This record gives sequence, C-alpha cells and structure tokens, in this order.
Amino acid sequence: MTHATEQMGAFVVEGKIDLPATFSVGAVASRFFIEIRDNKRIMGLRCPECNRVYVPPRATCKRCFGQLSEWVEVSDKGTLLAYAIAYQPNPAQPVETPIVYGIVQLDGADTGLVHILGEAAFERLKTGLRLEAVFKEKRVGNILDIKYFRPLR
Amino acid sequence: MAQDSKQEYLHVTYNLPRPYRWSTGQYMGRTFREARDHKKIVTNRCTKCKELLWPPARVCGRCKVEAGQDWVEMSDKGTVVQYTYLVMPMWNPHKGERWANPYPTATILLDGGLYMLHFLEERDPKKLKAGMRVQAVWKEEGRGKGVQGIGDILYFRTIEEQEAKK
Repeated sequence: MTHATEQMGAFVVEGKIDLPATFSVGAVASRFFIEIRDNKRIMGLRCPECNRVYVPPRATCKRCFGQLSEWVEVSDKGTLLAYAIAYQPNPAQPVETPIVYGIVQLDGADTGLVHILGEAAFERLKTGLRLEAVFKEKRVGNILDIKYFRPLR
Repeated sequence: MAQDSKQEYLHVTYNLPRPYRWSTGQYMGRTFREARDHKKIVTNRCTKCKELLWPPARVCGRCKVEAGQDWVEMSDKGTVVQYTYLVMPMWNPHKGERWANPYPTATILLDGGLYMLHFLEERDPKKLKAGMRVQAVWKEEGRGKGVQGIGDILYFRTIEEQEAKK
C-alpha cells in the first residue's frame, strides 16, 4: 500500500469506529414476529371501524386513526400485487442477487406485505400469482423467519 | 391499545462500523518511522526558540516560524511528573462502549526534556509516586497492527536505578 503521502514521508493510518445500536421493535411488531417465530402464524390487526385488516400490523388505523387491538390470524397464502427484480448487489440485501421483491396480499388481509419471492422462475412472475409462505426451520424473531413466498402449486 | 404487560418485546442490535484513514503528515511520519524501525522516540526542535515540539510539527506554535529539521532523539527513560490512577471506565472512542483503563496514565519527563503522556505498567496505587523512574516497553514485533507511532509503546515500566539520578 503506497499512498501518495507516504512518498513524502508520511504514513496513512487505518482506523475504525464501531457504532453499535439497539432499538425496540415495539409492542405490535414484537407480537407479530413472536407469533411467526413460535407458532408459524401470521397475525394482523383489524380496525373495528372500517374492518380493514392490516398485515403487517400497525398500532393505529391509517384511515380512522383509532387504536387497533383486535388480533386476527390471516392465511399463509396470498396474491402477488407487485414485484421487482434486483440484480445489483447491496450489503443491505438479505439474500444473494438476483432478488425478487414482491408485495403479497395474504388471504384475510387488506394490505400488502413486502417480502422476497423464491422458487419462482422469472418468466412465471406476474401480478395475481398465488403464493404461499415458506417458514424457516430455525426462527429467531424477524421478518426473515418467513424464508420467502413461493408460487402455489 | 390493550397490550399484555408481560408481553415479550423484541430488540434489534446492530453495528455500523465506520472505517477511516488519516495521514500523519511528514513530521509525525518521521516519528512513526523511527518508532517502527528503530524503537526510538524522536521529535523536532524549533530552530529559533530551541524548544522541543510535541507532537513534531512543521511550524513552531510559539515563534510562528518554520520549525525545520532539527531532529532530537529522546531517551526511552524518564521520570514520572504526575499520574492519574483511573477507577471509572472511560468511553472507548473506537468501540462506543465502556472501557476499563488497564494502566494508570502519567505525564513522564523523558531524559532529553520532553513531557509525554503515556501509561504506567505499575498498577498498584500504593507503589505509584511522582518522581519514580520509568522506561518505555515497546511492543514485540508484529504485535501492533499497522503503524501506530507512539502507540507502539505499550507502557512505561518502573526501573530501579543505582547510578546517579538526573
């Protein structure tokens, strides 16, 4: 490693600062992930005013602004609303490229859940495709406890 | 929101390390090179006021003139002027976590006239005293990662000196 400044008699010193951080995912998301981790159940929150079921759950209804507390189980099968294929690698991506990202509306839910699709040939992809969740064997309590969604056979 | 107070809460812990690099510049670079190659402490002296500069610098802070290349080698022995026996752990600036200081910090007057801030090997507070003689202990070859300049000195070890002091 010869840096321009080293030819002048200087040294380039490497350094690294760690920035560790911890945050709480909150009451609603904790329950959502724990149900997936322990029971392989995908839960949503239903608004008693407008009857919309939010998956992923949220603490307040975005239309009625009321607090949500009525947990309902939704199916692990759903419909593909939209998808995109990412080829460019990025350290934030959970699996190797190419990745198919999809928005899945689970049966019983009124909103879309963003996740990745697997076992899907690219030419088979189209909106309206029926999908099912594949759970990991070893689950730790995050969104990747669902390994991916795959086309229903 | 009627949440069960006994509910388990999930937490996410992550780390985003920030790598960086900095150049020592020519003058500190010479100190770094002498420390790495010859285990010597060197610094430069202002050509006008003849005071030692530490860390070595291009411009004398007192005279505001170019300090030049009047390099002086310091002895690796010195006398403790004052020391701090730290009990409370400090923040480690490179890790962002509490970090017990393993060695007491001291101002050491090196033979040669340079005041240097460094660690002492002696960790028994009863045996620490101002005026005690110390000598630098350098890291073994390959122990330090990369070039660390005066950080290549681990600490200063207490020495017994029979011959005439000062």
